[in-house]
Amino acid sequence: MKVDLSFKGVTGRAIADRRLKTAIDRTTMTAETKRRLALMDYPQFEAARARGTAIKDHVVANLDHYLEEFERNAVASGAVVHWAATAEEACGIVVGLCRQAGARHVTRAKSMLGEEIGLPHALEAADIERVETDLAEHIIQLAKEAPSHIVWPALHKTREEVAELFRVAHGRPQDSEDVPAMVESARRQLRSLFLGADVGISGANFLLADTGGVCTVTNEGNAELTTTPPRMHIVTAGIEKLVPSLPHAYALLRLLVRSATGADITQYTTFHTGPKRAGDRDGPEEFHIVLVDNGRSRMLATGLRDMLRCIRCGACMNHCVVYRQIGGHAYGATYPGPMGAVLTPALEGVEKTRDLPHACTLNGRCQEVCPVGIPLPTLLRGWRDTSWKEGLVPGSVRAGLWAWRFVAERPRLYRLATAAAVRAMRLFGRRGWIAGMPGAGGWTDYRDLPAPAGRTFMEQLRDRKTGR
Amino acid sequence: MSARDTILGMLRAALGPHRPDRAAIAAEAAALLADPALIRPALAAEDPVEAFAARVVSPKVNATLDRIGALAGLPAAVGRYLAAQGLAPEITVQPDPVLRALDWTGFAVRETALPDEAVALGRARWGIAETGSLVFESGPETAVLNHFLPLHHLVAVAAGDILPYLEDHAAVMGAAPRNLNLITGASGTTDIEGSYVRGAHGPRFLHILLIGP
Repeated sequence: MKVDLSFKGVTGRAIADRRLKTAIDRTTMTAETKRRLALMDYPQFEAARARGTAIKDHVVANLDHYLEEFERNAVASGAVVHWAATAEEACGIVVGLCRQAGARHVTRAKSMLGEEIGLPHALEAADIERVETDLAEHIIQLAKEAPSHIVWPALHKTREEVAELFRVAHGRPQDSEDVPAMVESARRQLRSLFLGADVGISGANFLLADTGGVCTVTNEGNAELTTTPPRMHIVTAGIEKLVPSLPHAYALLRLLVRSATGADITQYTTFHTGPKRAGDRDGPEEFHIVLVDNGRSRMLATGLRDMLRCIRCGACMNHCVVYRQIGGHAYGATYPGPMGAVLTPALEGVEKTRDLPHACTLNGRCQEVCPVGIPLPTLLRGWRDTSWKEGLVPGSVRAGLWAWRFVAERPRLYRLATAAAVRAMRLFGRRGWIAGMPGAGGWTDYRDLPAPAGRTFMEQLRDRKTGR
Repeated sequence: MSARDTILGMLRAALGPHRPDRAAIAAEAAALLADPALIRPALAAEDPVEAFAARVVSPKVNATLDRIGALAGLPAAVGRYLAAQGLAPEITVQPDPVLRALDWTGFAVRETALPDEAVALGRARWGIAETGSLVFESGPETAVLNHFLPLHHLVAVAAGDILPYLEDHAAVMGAAPRNLNLITGASGTTDIEGSYVRGAHGPRFLHILLIGP
C-alpha cells in the first residue's frame, strides 16, 4: 500500500495514533499546569513580558550593532567568531573545525539551531561519531528519529518505548515502570563518552554583546559536561540570540524558564566566555562561535520581524489545540507548533509548506502564552495571504471562495440561498443535532453538527422588527 | 563577499538608513533595565539570607540545608552529612584556599573530582535569594567539573554573600570569568513522559552549608 505523505495523510495517521496522543498529553498537560502555577507566584509576569518584548525589539532594531559588539568582545576573550549566511555554510564550518581538531568523537548538547541547520546529518556524513547528551536527544538518536518538540524532543516516546531502546543500546535490562532507573542507565552509559570526546558542540540561549559570553541553560547538566572536558567547544547560535548584557539576559531568563517548564530558573545556567585561561583547572583550549543567519535577516526584511523575538520556550505548542492532536512530527520540520508554522515557511519556502499556516484554528492561545508577545495568529494569517497571492491555494478552494463571494455580494441571492440551506439542513437533524449529511462528512465523521434554527437570522430579525 | 558582510549588509538594508548612534543605543539598553522591582518576583522573606534559606529547601529547588555558625564548623558538618548518607569520609574539595585552610583530619581529601565521583565540596562565590541559586566563577581555585561529576554536591556559601536578586548579582560581578555557573538544585530531567527524575547527568543531591549567623 502506498503511504500518503501529504500533510493530510500524515496528520490523519497521527490523529489515529492513540499511543501518540497519550504521549503528547502526558507531557503537554503537565507543562501547561506547571506554567500556570509558576505564573500564580509571579504576578509581575505581564510587566516582565512587556519588558522582555522591548528588550528583544531593541536588539533586533540594532542587530548589526550588537553583532559587531559581540564579535569584538568575544574575540578579545580569546574566542574565534565565524559567520554563516546559510545552513550549509554553518555545517561546513563546524565539520571543518572538527576535522581540524582531528575529532573522532563529538558530544553535542541539545540545540534547536543545530537541528535547523542539519548538523547531526552533516557530522554523520563526515564520518564523525556524534553522541547526543541531552537525555531526550539520546533517546531519539537511538530511535533514529527527529525531535517532536523544542523543549522535550522525545515527547512522542512512551516510557515503554524508551525502555526498549535502552535495553538494546545500553545492553542492560530495563523496567519501564522505573523511570529513575532508566535515567540512571543513561547516566552510566554517557559518563565516559562525555570525558572521552574530542569536541563538544552546544547551542546558545543568549549571546551577551558586552562580554562576548554565551549562555546555555539545561536542567540535566549535560551542557557543561559536553563543553568542559573536550579540547574544543563549538557554539552554533542564531544571530537573533543577542542581548546587550547580563541583566538583560536575566530578565529574559525569568520569562523563558517559567514559560518552558514552569520552573523559576533552570538548574544549570552557564555563561561561557572564551577558552581555558592560564591557571584554569579545566575547560576547552579552543572556543569557536558560529553565528548563523539562515534566513533571519530575510525575515527582518519581509514582515516577520516580530518572530525574531522568539526565545524558543515551547509554550505556544504546549497550549496549541492542533499540536496536541497531531504532535510535532506531522509538521515535517525542525520547529513544530505555532512558532514552527510561522518559521518553517520562512526557512523552507511557503510553496512546500503552505499547509502549516493553514493547520491553525486561530484561537489565539499561542499569543496569549507567548512570553515575548509574538502575534503568532497574525503572522500565520500573513502566510495564508502570501499563499493566496502567490497562487498556491488549490483550485477547488479558490472556486469555493469565489462562489461564496459571488453569493455574499448579492443580498437577495444570499438570503434565498441561506433560507434554502437552513431548511434543507433541518431535514437531517435529530433532536437538534446533525449526525450525518451529504457533503458534511469532514465534520460529522468526528462530531455532530448543531442543527440550525427554523429560520435564518435575517428572517428572525425581520419578524422581530415587524412585531410578529 | 564574506558571510559576515552578507549578513550585516542584509540587516542594514532591512533596518533602513535612519539609525540611532552608539550613545542612543546604549541609553535605550540602560533604560530597559530601569525599575527592576516591576519585573521580579517577591522574595520568600524580607531578609535575603532567610529568603535564600527558605527557597533552597522548597520544592522549587529541593536541596537540603545545614546552617552552621562559623566556617570552622564546616568539616564537622560535612562529616555529619556523609555519616547520615552512609558515605565514606572521602571527598573532593575544591582547591579553594578558604576550604583548604580548614582542618580536614579524618577525611581522605582529593583535589580533582573522579569521573564517577561520589562527593565533592565547593564554595560558592555568591548565593541568590530570588532563585536559590549558587554562583561559581571558574578559575585556578574553581574547577567546573567539580560541580557536575559528583553524585552528592556539597556547597558552602557565606551568609554575607547572599544577594537578593539576579540583577544584584549582575551588579556586583566583576570581569566575566571563563565559566559563570549558576547552580539551582540537583540535576534533573523530565524527558521521559514529563516525570521528574533527579540525577540525570550531574549531581543527584545538592546539600548547602550556609555559614554565618
